[in-house]
Amino acid sequence: MAGHAGFVEADNAEAIITRIEHKSRKIESLLKQYKPVEALKTALEGSPPKTRDERCKSANWIVVHRAIMAIKDVEGMFSSLDPEYYDILMKYLYRGLSTGDRPTCDQCLRIHEKLTERAGLGCILRSLSDTVNTV
Amino acid sequence: MSAIAVHQFAQCITCHAWSPDHSMIAFCPNNNEVHIHKLVEDKWERIHVLQKHDQIVSGIDWSIRSNRIVTVSHDRNSYVWNKEGADWMPTLVILRLNRAALCVQWSPRENKFAVGSGAKTVCICYYEQDNNWWVSKLIRKRHDSSVTSVAWHPNNILLATTSTDGKCRVFSTFIKGVDTRGSGTSSAGDTKFGEQIVQLDLSFCWAFGVKWSPSGKTLAYVGHNSMIYFVDEVGPAPSAQTVAFRDLPLRDVLFVSERMVIGVGFDCNPMVFAADERGLWSFLRFLGERKISSSGAKYGSQFSEAFGKLYGQSKHGISNDIGEASRSRGGIHENCINCIVPVKKEGQSTNTRFSTSGLDGKVVTWDLENQGDLSEYL
Repeated sequence: MAGHAGFVEADNAEAIITRIEHKSRKIESLLKQYKPVEALKTALEGSPPKTRDERCKSANWIVVHRAIMAIKDVEGMFSSLDPEYYDILMKYLYRGLSTGDRPTCDQCLRIHEKLTERAGLGCILRSLSDTVNTV
Repeated sequence: MSAIAVHQFAQCITCHAWSPDHSMIAFCPNNNEVHIHKLVEDKWERIHVLQKHDQIVSGIDWSIRSNRIVTVSHDRNSYVWNKEGADWMPTLVILRLNRAALCVQWSPRENKFAVGSGAKTVCICYYEQDNNWWVSKLIRKRHDSSVTSVAWHPNNILLATTSTDGKCRVFSTFIKGVDTRGSGTSSAGDTKFGEQIVQLDLSFCWAFGVKWSPSGKTLAYVGHNSMIYFVDEVGPAPSAQTVAFRDLPLRDVLFVSERMVIGVGFDCNPMVFAADERGLWSFLRFLGERKISSSGAKYGSQFSEAFGKLYGQSKHGISNDIGEASRSRGGIHENCINCIVPVKKEGQSTNTRFSTSGLDGKVVTWDLENQGDLSEYL
């Protein structure tokens, strides 16, 4: 998704982990500056990691989860989040819902409602039907 | 209003085709029969029932010049029907398939037809004069899953297919003795039968409904992920555009001009896609009228609608004849549209008419003339 500079080899799990760690630090600093939307964009960039390695996927999910949970004003988020992020955000919302964790599900459902209003059922279909680029 | 005729022929229609002069329509009412209706004094009357297949008829095509009907069915067979006197006489075409046939189309010169099947193969059938027999030649081992749609390039040689493995492929169907060298474009003239020209790997899920533009320059197909794909320069270095839209996925597409495509599918309402001056494709609008409501309310009503359908199915009786104002979704079709066919006379350059049919059993004819905002794309 959203043009990340470094395309990563599928087997290069260590490099991906390093990149996710770097992303995580960047997100923390953005959250400290009260820029939750910027943090979410950073988290979604280069996602999903182009690998089948579950460890990388989990690491990336933790980072995205952190950014999703920091969103307080959902309407406000959508006024500055570009449509190119919608499809990948939907995928992570479903991953959040699959955890079954109460606060995560609450937050994901709240965003899901607004995202569906904006991006339509097509967005949900894309996240359900893509079995290759799973998050 | 762009819909000029609405007719309820059956409870459900799997596919339909028009006679060359459009006075007759052939359709399959979701069983093993093909019904032919004729317009007699403003009323459609059933004049023929073609009964030969054992299972659901999945594809019908009616050739314009030779006035022949080809049908394919889940029973793995195909028939070519010739009009002899007052009756339609079937000729069995043995496809040599071990799974259902799913779609069929006559080639532009009408000397071949292509059948897509669930057996991961495409059959190219042609007539052998000496034996008075239709022969089926198979393109094997190219598809990893069922072939959902086939489309002929105007040069009568290239064939595009879509498959549930998510890929769109283009093949050469050159058959010695049927096609002549140099009959197609220079690039297609020296290819062997079954040679794969290109494989487009754009979709990650089922692909449906492939079509060429009238000139054969552009190819369009749809994915089950609410995306439509446009491919230019089909060959070694194709250039592709993908357009994601916000509604339910499409099942079939039709080029009305080089710059406009109509898509039909699960949203029950034809969608218009158009290319701007730079050749960039985008979703323009829905063709039918649509209730304008806030999206939140819309999803709520869809849920209750679905429940209503679940518990009140009995009210879906056969209500014949025209003009029943649709209640459910503000469109003319009330269920998934799975077939779109041009209503075109031979030798006509621009074609603004087409018809759609779907699971609600209606056949709707549309005309894009007098659609002010669309005229620039025709």
